[in-house]
Amino acid sequence: MTPTSQHDPAEGSHVTGGVVEHPVATDFVQARVLPADRTWFQRAVFYEVLVRAFFDVNADGSGDMKGLIRRLDYLEWLGVDCLWLPPFYDSPLRDGGYDIRDFYKVLPEFGTVDDFVELLDAAHRRGIRVITDLVMNHTSDSHPWFQESRRDPAGPYGDYYVWSETDQRYSDARVIFVDTEESNWTFDPVRRQFYWHRFFSHQPDLNYANPTVQQEMLNVIRFWLDLGIDGFRLDAVPYLFEAEGTNCENLPETHEFLKQCRKVVDDEYPGRVLLAEANQWPADVVAYFGDTSLGGDECHMAFHFPLMPRIFMAVRRESRIPISEILDQTPAIPANCQWGIFLRNHDELTLEMVTDEERDYMYSEYAKDPRMRANVGIRRRLASLLDNDRNQIELFTALLLSLPGSPVLYYGDEIGMGDNIWLGDRDGVRTPMQWTPDRNAGFSTANPGRVYVPPNQDAVYGYQAVNVEAQRDSSATLLNWTRTMLAIRRRHESFAVGSFHDLGGSNPSVLAFLREAGDDVVLCVNNLSRFPQPIELNLQHWAGYQPVEMTGRVMFPRIGQLPYLLTLPGHGFYWFRLSAPEEDR
Amino acid sequence: MRLPFAEWLPHQRWYGGRNRVIEAAEPIAVTPLREDLDHVVLGVRYADGGDERYQVVVGWDRRPMEEFQAVATIGSDEGHTAYDALYDESAARSLLALIASGAEKGDVRFVPEPGAELPVEAAARVVDAEQSNTSVIFAGGFAPDVPGAPGAAILKVFRRVLPGVNPDLELNRALGRAGSAHAARLLGAIEGTLEDRPVSLGMVTAYFENAAEGWAMALASARDLYAEADLRADEVGGDLADESYRLGEAVASVHHTLAEALGTSMAPPPIGEMAARLSAAVETVPELARWAAAAQATFEAAGTAEVPVQRIHGDLHLGQVLRTPETWLLIDFEGEPGQPMAARRRSDSVLRDVAGILRSYEYAAFQLLVGEPPDEQLAYRAREWIDRNTSAFCDGYASTAGFDPREQTALLAAYELDKAVYEAAYEARHRPSWSWIPLQSIARLLQGAARAH
Repeated sequence: MTPTSQHDPAEGSHVTGGVVEHPVATDFVQARVLPADRTWFQRAVFYEVLVRAFFDVNADGSGDMKGLIRRLDYLEWLGVDCLWLPPFYDSPLRDGGYDIRDFYKVLPEFGTVDDFVELLDAAHRRGIRVITDLVMNHTSDSHPWFQESRRDPAGPYGDYYVWSETDQRYSDARVIFVDTEESNWTFDPVRRQFYWHRFFSHQPDLNYANPTVQQEMLNVIRFWLDLGIDGFRLDAVPYLFEAEGTNCENLPETHEFLKQCRKVVDDEYPGRVLLAEANQWPADVVAYFGDTSLGGDECHMAFHFPLMPRIFMAVRRESRIPISEILDQTPAIPANCQWGIFLRNHDELTLEMVTDEERDYMYSEYAKDPRMRANVGIRRRLASLLDNDRNQIELFTALLLSLPGSPVLYYGDEIGMGDNIWLGDRDGVRTPMQWTPDRNAGFSTANPGRVYVPPNQDAVYGYQAVNVEAQRDSSATLLNWTRTMLAIRRRHESFAVGSFHDLGGSNPSVLAFLREAGDDVVLCVNNLSRFPQPIELNLQHWAGYQPVEMTGRVMFPRIGQLPYLLTLPGHGFYWFRLSAPEEDR
Repeated sequence: MRLPFAEWLPHQRWYGGRNRVIEAAEPIAVTPLREDLDHVVLGVRYADGGDERYQVVVGWDRRPMEEFQAVATIGSDEGHTAYDALYDESAARSLLALIASGAEKGDVRFVPEPGAELPVEAAARVVDAEQSNTSVIFAGGFAPDVPGAPGAAILKVFRRVLPGVNPDLELNRALGRAGSAHAARLLGAIEGTLEDRPVSLGMVTAYFENAAEGWAMALASARDLYAEADLRADEVGGDLADESYRLGEAVASVHHTLAEALGTSMAPPPIGEMAARLSAAVETVPELARWAAAAQATFEAAGTAEVPVQRIHGDLHLGQVLRTPETWLLIDFEGEPGQPMAARRRSDSVLRDVAGILRSYEYAAFQLLVGEPPDEQLAYRAREWIDRNTSAFCDGYASTAGFDPREQTALLAAYELDKAVYEAAYEARHRPSWSWIPLQSIARLLQGAARAH
């Protein structure tokens, strides 16, 4: 960064005479926007895609924005509604890009802001929306704000971070990354004070008590929204503010600031969404939706974290209880909100992110099963977690697509990609997308040694066996099955916004539930056991209705007054539409 | 009222006199509940000189839905057709409304529990799968839950009318009023007076549509283990030990609540009854004769010293426990089936209930192997599964009760053996192909005892 008077906005922020100057949206072309629809996210299927891992256009071994543009046709064909891109901002990459050095610049190996706008435009042309992560809580210590803050305590950035003469303040806040950090305070030898950080010591927390910082972050939000982005996944939202005598999580001031962000979205960018990442229990997460009487006035969406491990546990135990239990404990959410649910993503479920009692509970609930304990954190892909069992992969995917919430797919899981456990724990599930059986899995034409991590070459999961090209043209493949299920899901309003009613039933290995939205009534029956199972369901309320199986439009016997008997193969599932009786029949 | 009850009764699942010859079946008490609804107590006289009382709510000219017409149609009298009204949704709802309003009709009293809310608007459906009762479930349908609406309820109508308070009603009432989290909360009852003695006619409790039966969960767990070639019981995903631990906590909590509410006393172990049951069983199952002496010794080893006794469940097994999304519930506090009311209400050691669950684990593990050639490997796995779950259950029980039931070795062994002897006689009469399960257990219990001596 050179202090020139005429700065190229594509180079991002720059420092002139102790002042950090940022580009503005009008420095760039802006993408076309989709019609303002305030509820699109309630019916959307999300697809998490790592720019680095999807497609490499310039043969430098790393995926890029332009590569993602080239593969949008595939994503449109698959039938996803919204892409979620983990952070692509300029970063020293000490925390997977969550350590942001410049909010106004794209990581050079991914491309430029202009490339990103081109991606947005191309996605919108296909009706696909794009959201990305925004880390609100902290920046990288190489961010110019922090560099200026430590250099000049009395200067304009002196108060951008949380500085202290002692490391004893806010002592009730837990240390989240207990494996690497001893304290939430680190001494800075330049400023000769301690700075506050809830995560890594190279990620100082921004000081939200400073109104200028709040304004700066609202500017960041406006910058990307002006360019046309459809929303943000707000990373680590519970920790924005600090207060003595509290655990510094979920403070009222944090909610106030989120309401402010939401107001900016509602007033200036209707139809864009805020998705909270708050790894807490559902009863606590609902606070991030805001006021129920207003239909929600904070985040539009929040991730439902505990559901994912419980799906795995329920199938392992061949018992619906873990799923029934967590859904029973999940409070109702405001009318204009939605849960985000997932089976796998680029992270693992961290047990550091919970209180002591919750951790004990998690251990007793999740880690007693020895097979789960071998994978604490579940840092693996869906297919390999399920031993590549096609029946289970389909069952899990069917659950993801039918339980309440908008599903988030993880790139590559639609073809059954596996992980490479020999890579570092995070890279193992971030290997290149497997497009073809050719060199570098068709991901890149770079010299194989230059690819950021080698594509999976496992005998079962490797790219020669598992790739898009091999699966796309055969209707029996996982890829085409997934595509079919996405298409079926789209036909039914119930999957998106329907009420959820757990039917219980005579067999604890079978999870049966109804989703209902107006006239659209959907019955989902899932056999969590590997053995065939019978189930008697009490459906008297729907007497006279006829279940119609959705994949083949197969008519099942009409529902009567007696319990409705179904039999399912091991790990089998049915999706039925309940067709209302017609008077003249 | 002249209806062909004698022809109708034998087709009812809850009728207990199928092996006897009816001399007469006539109403001995008729209480009008509504213009078209009569509460009837039938007196049934048998050719063998015995008699029984049964409860029927008769609905006039109210045809039930087609599926139930065969079972519900009693007959005609003076041009009107009588039906078993529990199959009729509106009649069932009337009963619930009578309870909610605390109505009194002749000798029949409808008694709501203090503070209880009954789902009088909910859809009703009959469950006719029970052996001695008929239940009607009132659930809200599947519309989105209305905040503040009462939860689902189940009305259990006791078909056999016996003098005295029914223990199911009595214990659920005690547990409900004590706020126990491990019983379905009592919401109301139907009580009455028959021939100058109090009788229990029915009860309504909260209903958990989304509950799973402990028995089915245990079978799923054991099945999972058997499908693995070489994994141990603690290594398979279907391991039930955590649930067994929580079940132990729930049973101990119910025992504690019953002791607080209804008191405790001291009594010697019921060795005499155990011995009497043994001699009766030997007559049915001659193979038991060779174990009789050893069994008697095991009973006597329980001693004559008094032990604490209290009201207990009395017939506890995995089919009498439900896992709701929140917790474990104990249901059906009717006491030992086939016993007179006084015996069913008798205080006993909590170890009888503990033994009932331990026996049930053994049944769950071996029931899956019925009808197959013996397989040593599977039998070994079954044993491992039983041991793992019984010890988890006892650990959970001990953590709440403050004492470990396994420490009272001799008494617990006596109750387990007593239950196995009962099972041996029962299986010999009803399911001979299952007989090996209790017989094998008796052999194991007594060989173990022989080693211990």
